[in-house]
Formats: sequence, structure tokens, C-alpha cells
Amino acid sequence: MIDVPSIADLNLTVTFPAVFLALFTMVVLIVDLFIPKDRKIRTAHLTLGGLVVAFVWNVLVFDSNQTALGGMYIADSFSGFINFIALTAAIITCFLSVDYLKRTGIEQGEFYSLLLFSTAGVMFMGAASDLIVVFIALEILSIPLYVMAAMRYRDAKSEESGLKYFILGAFASAFFLYGAALVYGATGTTSLPEIFASVEGIVATDSGARLYLVLGAALIFVGLGFKVAVVPFHMWTPDVYEGAPTPVTAFMSVAAKAGGFAALLRLMVIALPELTANIGDTIAIWQTTIAIVAAATMILGNFVAIVQTNVKRMLAYSSIAHAGYILMGVAAVGTIGVAEEATRAALIYMLAYTFTNLGAFAVVMALEKDDGSGTQIADFKGLSRSRPLLAVMMAFFMLSLTGVPTTAGFIGKFLLFGAALEAGLVLLTIIGVLTSVVSAYYYVRIIVNMYLEDGEGDPAEGATQYLNYATYAAFAGTLIIGLFPFLAVNLLDTMMIAGLF
Amino acid sequence: MALQQFAPIAALIILAVVLTFIISNISTIFGPSNNTSRKTAPYESGMQPIGVGMRRMPVKFYLIGVLFILFDIEVIFFLPWAVVFRDLGFYGLAVMGLFFFILTIGLIYEWKKGALEWE
Amino acid sequence: MTFNELSWEALAFGAFTILTLGGALGVVFNRNLVRGAVWLVVSLFGVAGFFVLLSAPFLAAVQVLVYIGAIGILFTFAVMLTRSMTNLSERFNKQAWLSALAAVTLFLLILLAVIAPIFGEIAAPSSEVVATTEDLGVALVSGDKFVLPFEVASLLLTAAMIGAIVIAREED
Repeated sequence: MIDVPSIADLNLTVTFPAVFLALFTMVVLIVDLFIPKDRKIRTAHLTLGGLVVAFVWNVLVFDSNQTALGGMYIADSFSGFINFIALTAAIITCFLSVDYLKRTGIEQGEFYSLLLFSTAGVMFMGAASDLIVVFIALEILSIPLYVMAAMRYRDAKSEESGLKYFILGAFASAFFLYGAALVYGATGTTSLPEIFASVEGIVATDSGARLYLVLGAALIFVGLGFKVAVVPFHMWTPDVYEGAPTPVTAFMSVAAKAGGFAALLRLMVIALPELTANIGDTIAIWQTTIAIVAAATMILGNFVAIVQTNVKRMLAYSSIAHAGYILMGVAAVGTIGVAEEATRAALIYMLAYTFTNLGAFAVVMALEKDDGSGTQIADFKGLSRSRPLLAVMMAFFMLSLTGVPTTAGFIGKFLLFGAALEAGLVLLTIIGVLTSVVSAYYYVRIIVNMYLEDGEGDPAEGATQYLNYATYAAFAGTLIIGLFPFLAVNLLDTMMIAGLF
Repeated sequence: MALQQFAPIAALIILAVVLTFIISNISTIFGPSNNTSRKTAPYESGMQPIGVGMRRMPVKFYLIGVLFILFDIEVIFFLPWAVVFRDLGFYGLAVMGLFFFILTIGLIYEWKKGALEWE
Repeated sequence: MTFNELSWEALAFGAFTILTLGGALGVVFNRNLVRGAVWLVVSLFGVAGFFVLLSAPFLAAVQVLVYIGAIGILFTFAVMLTRSMTNLSERFNKQAWLSALAAVTLFLLILLAVIAPIFGEIAAPSSEVVATTEDLGVALVSGDKFVLPFEVASLLLTAAMIGAIVIAREED
């Protein structure tokens, strides 16, 4: 009745970074129960240990380019790179959290378990080649984030943040599920490679199935669009980012985006690249829609960020804008032949954004007071005199977010704009460049505040030992990718996505 | 799918509904009715009922409800596995074992955290 | 299929439709939210009946166990947790028109996009094989089928469990 697969058939070795981390979560959960309340730093150490093991393992199996667990899990350099982003984000977030949680009085061992769950969710999302796995991974990624956002439970803003995120996130999941059901209805399968195989026939016969497929893809896009916060599904972002404890905001801004875009890219690159209006067209039917959404996201995110006075809110709108840039890469995937270049550009952009944004949030946390205040832009006045090193690093992060050469952000934008031009999206590229110029206004304003404005200068008492480690790591990552981009690009040089390229 | 298969279930449901209706109304129909305000008041073991009938419940009930859903879903996963577990052999047991193990860790956590205690 | 069998099916379909729609109307029109929650259970039971008619008895069991059993209870708890919500004097809130508009729009969209293309045709089942509960059990653990989502689902349940406890715990 059933063929019992051997361990070799399941091919577990290549899945180990994600599977190990998922099981390690259980270890952290149980061990934490026996760690006394005032020694929660041991939980953090244990978590870091697990993350590092997963990281090393990921390096070992990085380029294995195999499928595992009956084709449900793809271990190629795409998923390896997503794992890289997720683990980096989790490690840095771990460093960010240790002292912050303690001084704001929300230290709980579960925080680290939830962080690990969420990280494992991102990793499964990047490696999933089946809509069911994508959905479950999406939930594993999201549910811990809802809880973590509401963790500062004495603060009404934090509760509002968790509630808002939960309700809209559940809504988005429902959209995703509906879309997946329609895609299943049109193609009869949930496996991404099999969907790819049936797309051509559906486009050729112009049956009712095509309508379902397009509708399904659109709904999936809406669901994932909520998660990565693209316009018009971005409304939750500022409130959630502002209310959540800052390390959670930092993690959420990079990990949830990485997961969402990983799933989106996988879906578009593996399953639906040939969903064209007519057979033989070189542009996928969904490209224009995504390009318009990307343009709207870049414009709105950047312009609304200008008027913000709270740094966390500003970075929220900035993260919306950056989702627009990455979405530009997704749109470029729709032109046949550019998919590989565009995917690579989007991935490297995400890595650059991960380092830069975590660094920026680290500096914000250094200034933040125990009660959550001190995150106004005005609080940065005179920081160059009180904490020169911190100010230099913050300035660098801001320049990287703008996309100035020698920073990681520049490399990301350079590759992305190149891919978009290659794909023939000239207008979109122009919008991208222009909005980058606009973004300089509000990023540079922080630099101006730090260096040119008078002020005492915040003592930045939050810059404790562990937080400094995180800031240095983020700074090093941003600098290294900026100066030696080939290090990151080479990782994806022989990019194999399910053998398509 | 032969619908006849479900005839016993349908009969059971109809019987349950009809019987409930009869039992809950039979005394009203046949019994003598002599209502006073004391008699129509809710029975509170002889105490005078105070306040409104619908009081706000403690949030603990909600936690119990959520945990119940989660274990209910676990049971749902057991169901299709249980009908074929003889054919699946040791492999099936191992797969379900891992599933069960992970949820048991959740249960241990819950227990140790005191979420099952009422106090 | 004899006429007799068909008419039983039609009868059952009619009964389940009345339960589903009637229950849903009960939810919308009832002032007392606890009673609304009970009406919801009635509606969900009708849906379980549809699953039986669609040859998906396992889903019917899921519907009864999870939706009627667990989610019905959770709804009742949630309503009773909020004192002010149990006795509403107004039948509708101020956004009734907006939500009515949204519901009608969604209904028309589903009608147009999903039901209209398949209306009228009595197509044969697309596959002769009816998936049974046994097939599902095998698929859940097969190495080439859903073993990964199955195991990951247990992680999801555990994560949700931790989340629920962290959120609802007493302040300590």
C-alpha cells in the first residue's frame, strides 16, 4: 500500500539547516523552563549557539541543488541565500534583544523560542516548492511575530500593534489560501514545478482554467503583498512598527520581507513565468500589474516618510519603499530571459537591506529610553558629539538606505535597476531612481541632525555591550557588501533554481 | 457515494433533535403551571440571584478554548492516520511519532508554565 | 443512480441549505451575541452536511470536530469575555451599509468569476478516484507526498500554543 522511503530517499542532509533549527526550537523551549528568571541570558546564548550551527550547516550544503522530502523542499542556492538572510537577521536580532528586553522589563524566555520559530518559518518558505508548504511556513513565520509584537503588554501601543498585525495578517493568509485554492482548481496540483508544467497548456487552450489561474495568482500576490507591505496593502506597517518592541520591529522588517519575497519569487520564477497573454509572448501577464504596484509603493513609501517625526515610523515607511524596490525585481522576472538576473538582484538587495536596516534599528535602540520614548528624529540632535562612533555608523546606514556608492544599498540598487532595464521596464527604473533621490531627503535629515544641529547629544545609554556587537556586525556587513560586492554576488553566480536556469 | 451509508447518522441526528425538543417542552405542555416570581427565577442553590445573568468570564476560559482547538486539530491529524496505521507499519509510526513528540513538548511547556492550572 | 436516490440527495441538499443560510441569517439578525454564536453552529452544521453530499466525509468530520466543537466554543467564550457585547440594543452598527455593500460585492464577484463559468453543466467528476480517508492517511506520511507539511504543521500548532500562553498569561 505504501512504499516506505529510505532515509536516503528523503534526502534529509540538505534540509538540515531548517529542520535542525525547527527542532532546536523545542530544545530552547524546554531548557528555558529550567533557567531561573534572572539568568535568561543563558537562553539567549543557547539560541545563538543553535543559530550558528544552522548557519555553518547552511554554508556546507549551500550549493547542493537537490530536492528533498519528496520534492517538497528545494535546497538550491536560492534557498541557501534566503537561509543566509534569515539566520543573519536572527543572530543580529538576538544580540539586539538581550539587553533591550531586560531594561524594558519584558524579558521572557519564550521570546527566543518565538524568534527561532519565525526564523525557521522564513527558511521553510524559501525552500518550499509546494503551495501547502508555503502556506504553513507563512503561518509559522507570522504567528510568533504577532505575539512578539504584543509582548510589551503594559503598553497599549504594543497591544494595538500585535492586534492590528494579527487581524490583517490573518486576513492576508486567507487571501493567500483562497488564491492557492484557485490555482489548485485550475491546475490540479499544488506543486510549483507541476503548476509550471500545466501553465503552457492552459494558456494555449484559453479555457476557463486560465481565469482561475490569473485570479489565484492575483490573490496569492495580495496575500504575500500584505506580508511584505506593498501599496495598497501597507496600512498596518507604521502602527505595527511603531508599537512593537524595537528588536521585534527590526526582525520583522527584514525577516518577514525575506520570507514573503522568497515565496513570491519562487512562485513567479518556478510556477508562473510563462503565464502570458498569448502563447509565444515574452512578457508574463502579471508583469504590468506588479510594475504598477511597485511604482506606487516606491512613490508612496518615500514621500510619506518625509513628513514623519518618529524614527520608527520613518523606517516603517522606508521599509515600504524598499519593498517597492524589491518588487521591481519581481516585476523584471516576468520578462523571459531576465529571470535569473532579476532574482539575483532582488536577493542581493534583500541581503543589503537586512544588514543596513538592522544596523539602523540598532542605533535607534541605543537612543531609546526604557519606557519606549526617545525615538523622535529630534533625539538624534548632536549625536556626533556625544557618541561619535555611533553617529558615524548611523550616517553610514542612512547612506546605504539611500543607495550611495561604497555602501551595500548602492550595490543592491545598481543590480536591481540594471535588471529592470534589461527587462524593458524603463519607466519603472526612472521612477526608482527619482524616488531614491527623494529618499535622500529624509535619510540625510538624520545625518544633518546628528552633525549640524545644536544639541546636547543623547548619551545613548542603550548602547550596551551586546547591542554594540549587533551594530558592529551590521556595519561590517553593510561595508563589506558595499566594497566587495562580488563576495555576495558570487554566492549566486551559479544560481540554480529548480534546474530552470 | 452512496448516501444510504449516512442514514444511521441522519436518524441519530433527527432522533436527538426531536427527543430534546420533546423532553424540554413536555412538562410545560402537560404539567400544571402556577408561576410566581420566585419560581421563575434561576435556580442558585437557594441563594438569591444577584446581578445580571451574563457576567464577564475570566480570560482563562479563552486560553482553555484556544488550547482545546489546537489539540482538537491534532486529533484531526490522527484520524486519517489511524484508519491505515496497520498498513503504514513502523515508518508510519515514526512519522506520527515525530508529530506527536513535537506537540508533546508543547504540552510539557504548557504544563510547566501552569497554563493547565486553575488556581 | 436511481431517481429515488437522487431525490433523497436533493432533499438532503435542501435541508442543509436551509440550515446553512438560516443559521447565517440568525447570526446576522440576532441581538444577543451568545445566541448568534449558537446560530453560527447551526450554519456550520449545514456546511458539514454539504461535505457529506460532496463525498468528503472526512471534511465533514473535521467540520463537526473542529468548527462546531472547538471554534463554536471559542466564539461563545469570546462573546462572554466581553460583557458589553452580550446584550446589544441596536441590531446593526453604524457600518452596516458599508459591510452590506462589501458582502454583496463579494457575492456578485464570486457568482461571476467562480459560479457562472461552471453553471449549467453537469460535468462528470473530473476524476474517477474518490479520495478516501485511507488515501489521505497514506498521503500524509508518504515520503513523496505530504510528510513535510504534516510535520511542519505540528511545529505550527506548537508555536500557536506558546503564543496563546504568552499572550493570555497572568501578569507575573
